[in-house]
Amino acid sequence: MSTMRKQRRLTVWTALKWALALAIALVAVFPIWWMINVVFAQAGEPVSLNPRLWPTSLGAGIDKIATIFAETGYLRAYGISILYALLTIAGVLLVGSLAAFEFSLFEFPGRKILFGVVLLALMVPTAVTIIPTYVLVSRLGWLNTMEGLVVPGLASAFGLFMLVQFMRAIPKDMIEAARLDGAGHFQIYWHVVLPLCRNALVTLAILTFIQTWGNYMWPLIVGTREELYTVGQVVGQFNSPLSHHTVDTVMTANLLAAVPPLIFFLIFQRQIVQGIAMSGSKG
Amino acid sequence: MAFLDISSVSKSFGSVSILRDVDLSIEEGEFVVFVGPSGCGKSTLLRMISGLEEISAGTISIAGEVMNEIEPADRGAAMVFQSYALYPHMTTFENVSFGLRMAHKARDFIAGRVNEAATILQLEKLLARKPGQLSGGQKQRVAIGRAIVREPRVFLFDEPLSNLDAELRVQMRAELTELHKRLGTTMIYVTHDQIEAMTLADKMVVMAGGLIQQAGPPLTLYDDPDNQFVAGFVGSPKMNFLAGQLASVDAGSVKLSGVGGAADITLPIGGVGGGARAVTLGVRPEHLTIAGDDAPGALSGRVTLVEELGAESFVHLTVADGTPMIVRARRDAARAGSRVRLGIDAGRALLFERDGQRIRGSLSLQ
Repeated sequence: MSTMRKQRRLTVWTALKWALALAIALVAVFPIWWMINVVFAQAGEPVSLNPRLWPTSLGAGIDKIATIFAETGYLRAYGISILYALLTIAGVLLVGSLAAFEFSLFEFPGRKILFGVVLLALMVPTAVTIIPTYVLVSRLGWLNTMEGLVVPGLASAFGLFMLVQFMRAIPKDMIEAARLDGAGHFQIYWHVVLPLCRNALVTLAILTFIQTWGNYMWPLIVGTREELYTVGQVVGQFNSPLSHHTVDTVMTANLLAAVPPLIFFLIFQRQIVQGIAMSGSKG
Repeated sequence: MAFLDISSVSKSFGSVSILRDVDLSIEEGEFVVFVGPSGCGKSTLLRMISGLEEISAGTISIAGEVMNEIEPADRGAAMVFQSYALYPHMTTFENVSFGLRMAHKARDFIAGRVNEAATILQLEKLLARKPGQLSGGQKQRVAIGRAIVREPRVFLFDEPLSNLDAELRVQMRAELTELHKRLGTTMIYVTHDQIEAMTLADKMVVMAGGLIQQAGPPLTLYDDPDNQFVAGFVGSPKMNFLAGQLASVDAGSVKLSGVGGAADITLPIGGVGGGARAVTLGVRPEHLTIAGDDAPGALSGRVTLVEELGAESFVHLTVADGTPMIVRARRDAARAGSRVRLGIDAGRALLFERDGQRIRGSLSLQ
């Protein structure tokens, strides 16, 4: 009897969990779905008195996308955003992994204090550092340049923390075996440690991509000239209160901005989840 | 000067002293085993030879050249780790050839060396596999292969068999002995397992508390230990130790009284100095015999447990003062709960001061 009751309670609990998960998924997915619905429909149809919840015209959507590419700087913005993301990823991985290599596998004076400073940096909100960073970049003459956009984002405290946690799990024996095999400091990093951290590096790359692609504030501040506008800024222009665009055009611009990270996530979701779980549990 | 010379070597981590003033000479081609309980400094000494650990004081030299400031890779020593330390992302071939690749050797040369090592270690069919696809014994062979291809002057093994099951350990032990015969290279091996040490070593170095307690051929250490620690550490089951009083000494013998609480025993050890004092008698389990309670014999005890091993049995008993003893006896020699008398092979019994030092006597008949 008690077993039956237990089973029934478990079933109710499971159903509740499912209901909650579905509700959260609905809240998360609906805006994206609505965006697609608005784009791939005749103008005004989804917001009419009798709205449709599913796309009705592929052609209309393609027309809107073509118009946006033809009449705005969207393609260039794509290029800038991709370059910004790729350079940031490469830099974050290189700087983060080199620093993590030293912090996690070697003893040196001041190691703990330095790492403490890094952790402190994790806790400082971006809003606090943004003005000093701007002043620094401005003095370096990097306003409206790619280096101004990319360089300040290369030192990622989160990335360093995650890689340090990961590298601490590498057995010391392996590093010592490599030393005995005649591998130099850099060779150990390159041939032994980096390949062993592949999963963590992939995760960090993806997280950096998502963060860079969605970064609105810094590109807005550092790149005031149109040639350096990222996708975020272009979309921002569409969304601004005084723009003359209709809701369809705005939605199309938003959809175009959302597609790359969505594709990225769909391809790499397993590594993302694995990597986040690993960075949380190891070390 | 010996091939590998360890001279007055000390090691401390901060204020903690790990090794104190260690001296040891190792000849070329010798198989030397460092053995001792956990924390005795044996692995630290090995790591100091390899260069992975700095030397706090003293010198280590190989072939006459002082190694203290020489980089680990340039010492001509190759090490096999307890954890194997194989690179999981590389195949067997890549693991074995790693050192040669780091030295930028030619491809043909690398392939030749790796194939040669693979033949010796029967790894030919495993060259394309990654460590995750290998068994414990195979991983061990790959780790040895990685050491062999470098053609080192000294092989260093840090408890390499402790992760293997008992059967595989026996097999790998035989393979290591074979490998040593074949290569003829100096090998230094660290273990806490004294049976492993006895079976492998040309020279066995027993360590405890950061000091070398005794070094020599395994059977010498077994038969003629310098102190109570070595006597107790070498041999399984352990040597029995009984407290007693040194009552009197004459030219050819010593008389003990109150051994194990009650017995008077005479040992043929001549020329022992000093007066009457408390001493410890050491007797190996195989140098004791079990007789019935009515038989003559000084020592008697109550049997607490009999471990029957088929060919022989280990008889556990306690003597008058409660000291536990083990006797290696024939099968069915005693029953648990019964009282027995013990015969001692006095010629093989050893005598120790209470501080553990061996009392040899100047005219020892042993």
